[in-house]
Amino acid sequence: MSYAYLFKYIIIGDTGVGKSCLLLQFTDKRFQPVHDLTIGVEFGARMITIDGKQIKLQIWDTAGQEAFRSITRSYYRGAAGALLVYDITRRDTFNHLTTWLEDARQHSNSNMVIMLIGNKSDLDARREVKKEEGEVFAREHGLIFMETSAKTAANVEEAFINTAKEIYEKIQEGVFDINNEANGIKIGPQHSPTNPQSPAGGPGSSQGSGCC
Amino acid sequence: MDALVNVLSVDRTDPEIVAYALESLLNVTNPDLLEDEDPNLQTMGKQFTEIFIKKSENVVMLLSILDDYDFRIRLPAIRLMTNLLVNKPKEIQEILLVSPMGISKLVDLLSDSREVVRNEALLLLAALTKSNANIQKIIAFENGFDRIIQIIESEGFSDGGPIVEDSLHLFLNLLKSNTSNQTFFREGSYIKKLLPFFSQPDENDIGWPTQKVANVYHMLQVVRTLVSPLNPSQVTLSCQKSMKSCGILQSLCSILMANGVPAETLTEAIVTVGECIRGCQENQEYFATVMAPSDPPRPALLILLMTLVNERQPLSLRCAVLYCVQSYLHKNEKSQADIVKTLLPSSTEVSSLSAGQLLCSGLFSKDPTSNWFAAAIISHCLVDNAVQKESLLKVQLATKANSPPITLLHHILNTVQQTNKTQVKIGFLQFLSVWLESCASSVTQFLSNSNAIPFLISQITSGELEDKEVFVQGLSAFVLGLCLYFNPNTVPSFTKENMNQLITNRIGMETLTDGLNHISKSEFYLHSLKHPQLNAKHSTDLLFDHSFCLLFKKYEPLILLQLSNPHSQVLSPQSTLAADFSKMGYINNHQSPNDVINSYKEVIRRQDESIDSCKKEITMLQAHNSEYKSKVEEMLSEVMQLKNQLALAQAQRESMTVRQIPEDHHLAIVAAKDNLIKELEAKLEGYNQSYTGGSPVLKIAMQEDLITKLEDENKQLVEEVERMKKDQEELLELLTEQDNRISSFKSRLREMGAHVEEEEEAEDELVPANMAAFDGGGEDFLN
Repeated sequence: MSYAYLFKYIIIGDTGVGKSCLLLQFTDKRFQPVHDLTIGVEFGARMITIDGKQIKLQIWDTAGQEAFRSITRSYYRGAAGALLVYDITRRDTFNHLTTWLEDARQHSNSNMVIMLIGNKSDLDARREVKKEEGEVFAREHGLIFMETSAKTAANVEEAFINTAKEIYEKIQEGVFDINNEANGIKIGPQHSPTNPQSPAGGPGSSQGSGCC
Repeated sequence: MDALVNVLSVDRTDPEIVAYALESLLNVTNPDLLEDEDPNLQTMGKQFTEIFIKKSENVVMLLSILDDYDFRIRLPAIRLMTNLLVNKPKEIQEILLVSPMGISKLVDLLSDSREVVRNEALLLLAALTKSNANIQKIIAFENGFDRIIQIIESEGFSDGGPIVEDSLHLFLNLLKSNTSNQTFFREGSYIKKLLPFFSQPDENDIGWPTQKVANVYHMLQVVRTLVSPLNPSQVTLSCQKSMKSCGILQSLCSILMANGVPAETLTEAIVTVGECIRGCQENQEYFATVMAPSDPPRPALLILLMTLVNERQPLSLRCAVLYCVQSYLHKNEKSQADIVKTLLPSSTEVSSLSAGQLLCSGLFSKDPTSNWFAAAIISHCLVDNAVQKESLLKVQLATKANSPPITLLHHILNTVQQTNKTQVKIGFLQFLSVWLESCASSVTQFLSNSNAIPFLISQITSGELEDKEVFVQGLSAFVLGLCLYFNPNTVPSFTKENMNQLITNRIGMETLTDGLNHISKSEFYLHSLKHPQLNAKHSTDLLFDHSFCLLFKKYEPLILLQLSNPHSQVLSPQSTLAADFSKMGYINNHQSPNDVINSYKEVIRRQDESIDSCKKEITMLQAHNSEYKSKVEEMLSEVMQLKNQLALAQAQRESMTVRQIPEDHHLAIVAAKDNLIKELEAKLEGYNQSYTGGSPVLKIAMQEDLITKLEDENKQLVEEVERMKKDQEELLELLTEQDNRISSFKSRLREMGAHVEEEEEAEDELVPANMAAFDGGGEDFLN
């Protein structure tokens, strides 16, 4: 499948807030109730459409545990978007947001779009963090905010797609330097006229569609 | 060492001296230093590395030196880092992982415009990525694949120099056993970018340069890593599909059929094609249609089989063909049927060369290796395929002129008995065991040869065997075991019971077990079990086939279980699963493989049912549990409520005793008034006495006034006392009421089992006593 743009995302936040579940829900449309600890980082991908353009999302799901923090830091720089996730039923995960945000701002490129996500909105009875608190935090730090449920899939699509929209708008405004791949954005192979990579005359280069 | 490190940190501004310091460090940490000399010196590089990394800051400092664009500094710095990584990979990897952007910086070096630096960076990254999944993933994230492919492209793909080989080394490191990166590679459409590597070789190209052979070899390794049968099957399957849709499989197949391809490359390409199609139906179907550009055109499959049964072909090539053809047959009933069909009598009229003819020529060849290969291929057509096992029984052979034709199975059996070549015996016995497994008709045909069982017994009991003869013994035991296990009781002299007795009396359990152990304990067996590809260095090493090993692993314990219980029709309940099978008559009743499958299905269904019922039970119990919990909570809250009420009542009672104080106060007032009246009366008397003297009228009038006043006063006081008494009575009533309430609470509390303190009761008794005393006092006063 060809694409106009490719965006790299990372998902960050405390352990057990549902990062992997959000990714799984987005890429596979299913929910895994058993907590399977992420080791280091795991990769997932999906194609979306924005403004009539195919956009490929490559998503790196990071481990929330402190032990993996130094590894996950390596992923900030090359990401165009980040989903910063907390668990609305655990206040401590909300309290740690500042640390996460500092970490992200310090190691990422300044244009990285950060989406704040209060996950597990299906567990309203056990809620410890009010929606308004999330909104206030997001406003204070210039983030987009959403409450999601990886279990019921509520707002999961929107979270990933809205982040992509924001990045897309930044590209349109010329904020992102799309020729620098270190920003986590790539232009699709057939969309860059001066692409030096296209294997000229290589056999089968024309029949190679449907590779992903 | 310290001095050199010091130079690096202190004299950073002087590029020349920093470069010299780096060069010096480079020399002392060189892992290849004095390679063939004193072994003590060999470890020098390691030791110096150890000293250097004792302070992890040194590594971090080296990392920051890499930022220096100056050629004189950057190049030795990269080389030094590579040395460190080669000497102490784990330690350095950890340090680099925790230093912020450490790995990313190293990846950036690949973009250095100076080729020398870039090439050194390739070596550095190859050392960096060795067996560390975290680093491998970060490099993939940092567009590592893109950069490597760019380098390969700029170097001219397979025609490129050693740089391409270095790049491919790195490639392999990034993909090997790293599922996340493999998925990323496929998702990122990188597979397509490998295609130019396998472009059709030029027909006029005579002889490939060594470097090209090496490059293509490594590229084939990259492809194999992506479709390895050891990967999770889902990952492999999607990669296999990509290989086909991107045209890689097609290109590989054309390499197979092209002229002038070096043997080494050809061998690896055949194996790679095998892994690209293994178990993937779509690709297997494609492979069946590939035609060789021969005259007349023949299917590629036939060309491969010709190679297989040609003893002049190199062994490695024949092994590769075996693997490829087996992969073509793997889990594909259609391709299995296609091959068996060519062996059946109906197809004999076909004049052109067929797979069946080639395989038969292999079976009857004088070359034991060809025999072994042909048997391995045919048995692969039978794996998990009951229909083909039945069909193959129909194959008849006319071995000698004028003698009646015999079946293929009997021919194989006869050959095993007559040949003195161990490898042939092993190959054919394996073939037989695959054929007999779960197939009652083939067991019947096998047993109908009266020599079969005596031969097996003689093999098993012949002692003092040398070398690989023990495997013949083990295989004979296994075949005998299968005949017992799948015995349909159709051959009168070899019923299940007869065979059981035969084994116990003529062989003995121990001898049979020993025989089986010869196989299960052998290195050859364990090696073949691990990976489907067979890598024999010498033709006599061709012993066990992977699919046979799987079969052996499955049935060895079942045969032993069957034997351990010789007399009963029902197996011992040692194993619940076996007991389950026997209850359903699985062991005794397997007329056809369908029954076996059905019995398995039955077991699964029953287990499913029991799981379901268990699940239901759990939910029910959980519901009960929560119900009880809520009840307990309810009762607790009730108790709390009652306790509160009690406390309230006590508080009220206490406040009541407080209200008694004003009552006392009233009494005192009354007493004071009393006194006052008495005083006044006394005064009055005094006045009456003094009345005799003075102005009596005035005095009397005054006295009278006084009296009326006093009388009024007295009246008022009496009224007041009466009112107070009324109040008192009311209060008393209230008190008794409270008392009643308290006692009722208490009794309720007692009912609920709460402990009521004695003290409270004592207090309760005290209060009425006080009141009685007070009552008495009041009456006294009124009287």
